[in-house]
Amino acid sequence: MRKALREPSLVLALLIVAILLLAFVIYPQVRVVVLPGFEGYVEFLAGRSWVRPLINSLQITVLGTTTATLLGFIYAYSMVYSQMRWKPFFRLVGLLPLMSPPFVVAASYILLFGPRGIISYHIFGQSPNVLGLGGLWGVQTIAFFPFAYQLIADVLSRSDPRLEQAAHNLGAGHWQVFRTVTLPLVRPGLLSATLMTAIYIVEDFGNPALIGGRYTVLSTQAYGLITGFGDLPGAAAVSTILLLIALVLYLIRLRLEGRRSYVTVTGRTGSIPRPPVPKIVSRLCFVACLVLAILILLVYGVLIVSALVVSFPNNMNFTLENFAYVGAHATSLRNTLVYAGAAAIFSGLLAVLMGYLVQRRNWPGRRVVDFIAIMPAAVPGIFFGIGYAAAFNQPAFDWLDRGALITISFIFWNIPIGYQATMGGLQQIDRSIDEAATSLGASSMRSLRDILFPMLNSAFLTGAVTTFVRAVTTLSVVIFLFTPRTTTATITIFQLVNDFNWGGATAFTVAVIGMAILVLALVWFISGRRGGFRGIQPGGV
Amino acid sequence: MTNTTGELQIDGVTKRFGPLKAIDRVTLRIPAGRFVTLLGPSGCGKTTLLRMIAGFYEPDEGAISLDGTRIDHLPPHQRSTAMVFQDYALFPHMTVRENIGYGLRLANVSRAEIERRVDTILDFMGLNGLGDRWPNQLSGGQQQRVALARALIIEPKVLLLDEPLSNLDANFRERMRWELRSLQQRLKITFLYVTHDQSEALAMSDWVAVMNAGRVEQWGTPREIYHAPRGAFVATFIGTANLREVRVMRRENGQAVIALAEHTISVPVSDSSSLGDKALLCVRPELITISRACQDESRVNLRGRVIRYAFLGHITRYWVEAAGEEWIIDQPDQGPSEQPYEGDVTLSFLPQQAHLITEA
Repeated sequence: MRKALREPSLVLALLIVAILLLAFVIYPQVRVVVLPGFEGYVEFLAGRSWVRPLINSLQITVLGTTTATLLGFIYAYSMVYSQMRWKPFFRLVGLLPLMSPPFVVAASYILLFGPRGIISYHIFGQSPNVLGLGGLWGVQTIAFFPFAYQLIADVLSRSDPRLEQAAHNLGAGHWQVFRTVTLPLVRPGLLSATLMTAIYIVEDFGNPALIGGRYTVLSTQAYGLITGFGDLPGAAAVSTILLLIALVLYLIRLRLEGRRSYVTVTGRTGSIPRPPVPKIVSRLCFVACLVLAILILLVYGVLIVSALVVSFPNNMNFTLENFAYVGAHATSLRNTLVYAGAAAIFSGLLAVLMGYLVQRRNWPGRRVVDFIAIMPAAVPGIFFGIGYAAAFNQPAFDWLDRGALITISFIFWNIPIGYQATMGGLQQIDRSIDEAATSLGASSMRSLRDILFPMLNSAFLTGAVTTFVRAVTTLSVVIFLFTPRTTTATITIFQLVNDFNWGGATAFTVAVIGMAILVLALVWFISGRRGGFRGIQPGGV
Repeated sequence: MTNTTGELQIDGVTKRFGPLKAIDRVTLRIPAGRFVTLLGPSGCGKTTLLRMIAGFYEPDEGAISLDGTRIDHLPPHQRSTAMVFQDYALFPHMTVRENIGYGLRLANVSRAEIERRVDTILDFMGLNGLGDRWPNQLSGGQQQRVALARALIIEPKVLLLDEPLSNLDANFRERMRWELRSLQQRLKITFLYVTHDQSEALAMSDWVAVMNAGRVEQWGTPREIYHAPRGAFVATFIGTANLREVRVMRRENGQAVIALAEHTISVPVSDSSSLGDKALLCVRPELITISRACQDESRVNLRGRVIRYAFLGHITRYWVEAAGEEWIIDQPDQGPSEQPYEGDVTLSFLPQQAHLITEA
């Protein structure tokens, strides 16, 4: 500490980080938790209106996580282990859902499987009622299995092929190797991926809102209490319950990964090929992936088709009229681009600075900052949104521009991704690198700028790109913050869907996804195709 | 030209890591313009001491001064020291030229001046034509020289080197010893060198500080620490030693008369004040000869039996049991037709070549 005090710029950086975290992470969250007050909690808990949504939340989480993880595992296993064809195609298709708000899956689901759905009605002549648990289960499975796939593929690809080769060499068959070597090694990683998927599903707001019908979960109850009854304390209490569930899941996950999940991030064993699986397995993998890929393509294909016809599926005449909505709501699209873009840059920069201060500097309280920096990863978007609404929708903060506030909420909600990427990156960089810089005369901040930051560019990109994607696709964080002037694309889509304006909603979705892909492609080219796209996590929740 | 700047004074420095004392009240004076080595096994505190001088650690107690000015409170970038790291720590995103010029850039030297001085040092270090390469395009030896150039260009008063040769392969390491030594001779900058490799330390240094368990065990020239070790640790850490506990019978004019087996021999003692009843006799393996018959009276002769031997190329090493203990003897090899000794032999050495360690 004495040492740190000798560098005023370092102390200043520490102070700024501390103040920012206090103001934009701690304060809003504490605000939500204390909002109902003790009596409010007693009254609310006694009212028992939360029991049904809690049970529903847990039910859909267990069901959705089971199926999504299962499908994700099949997809991931096929990608990592099998010798099936078309892997690049499957990889690309698997990335697609990361670029869009998960809740558009609900819209597609209705168009595909709803009472007038193209598959349910036009092929099978059925008019099922998809609103409720059944529909929501299907939607959450389709919406989140690609995320489970990303997480599980990452875990599987990190297992060391040499161990599998050794087992083969000792006489084990493929299935035996998988059962006795591979599975035990990846089990903690699989469990962690499952928990993360569970967190996504329990926190999700868009899908239950669109397709849940009378099947209310905690997040939709919180939303309903605010929009229907103006009951902010009630919503705060509900979302606090939701936070507790997510936090418990997240803490188990951290414990599982030995707290330092990023240690193994780059332990990719590149050059050694995995022992081949039997041909029949590869074929089965191919079929399974093909079915799943078609499912994903159907979800997004139906959006595009719906955007391009007069009235899906009754009047399939081609039209561009739906895109008029994009023009009409250009403000929200522009807002999304500006807020998400700014948030991406600042979140990436702040994450690198925080990672540096925590990992490279020794000062009291760094563990606290470490915890606060990763905490938002466990905070449900709806809770985060209510927190910002409760904290800053007060006359005292009228001077704070709402657009800026939305941007700030994006920055801090997404800080954990860039932060953990930075921590992982810094662990790869020997301390002697920054010591070399300081011994040549660089101050700490100068060596961060000249030496570490350029070396951490992939961590910065991971943070920035993921922040951007999540900011573009989130609904729950902004739903309590937007004003007519600062509305965003997801809000517009949500409103259009609620108005049953399918053409407009789908056209707008296509425009948003197109914009996101365009921006990401641009970043990818500018950054010298360096990636940083690996750690993308879903938004929209 | 002799350099009068770059004298380091370390006064009673202590550094703790938790309950562990990494450095325990170390006091050292590192003379200006000399090649000084901190030598010791891993964990002895030598790197910790070096890093405290560089400013990466702060001493818990004591003071570090450079040319009479205290520096232990300064952050690393404000000290006139530069460091060469074990893994070189070249900045991977900068070219060789940018790496070397970085220190000057920090000092706001003009671009033209940086170019000129980088050119000069590239030439000086034999790195011509490599300026625009990236660090990962260089061999280990070239990276090593870039790391040296990068540190030397800022003209530090003291150059700190943290085991810089340990990542090089054996042949090249030997050559780099001479390069480092002659570099220091040409520049007359204080080099403070950390290594656990005794032959490096002996080959390059003007002075060696042998460290163990956070303390300096001995300070001396390479010849002194090899032939006149002050304790059992130094004797066994530097080279191989036959150490025998002996009884001191009496002292007479700078000599101690001791009993070894049936012999009564007198050996020189430098510091007779600390001489007690018991002492350790240290005889280096190469100072003992092995033969069939007894040697002349001026030598100490011991009857023994060869236990085993190993042919090591330039020498043959024997393990011989004599006077109830195991002795190690190194005999220079005499060529392809030499027959190794087996069975009963005689060991002999000159008493004045033995060294008496006076610690109890």
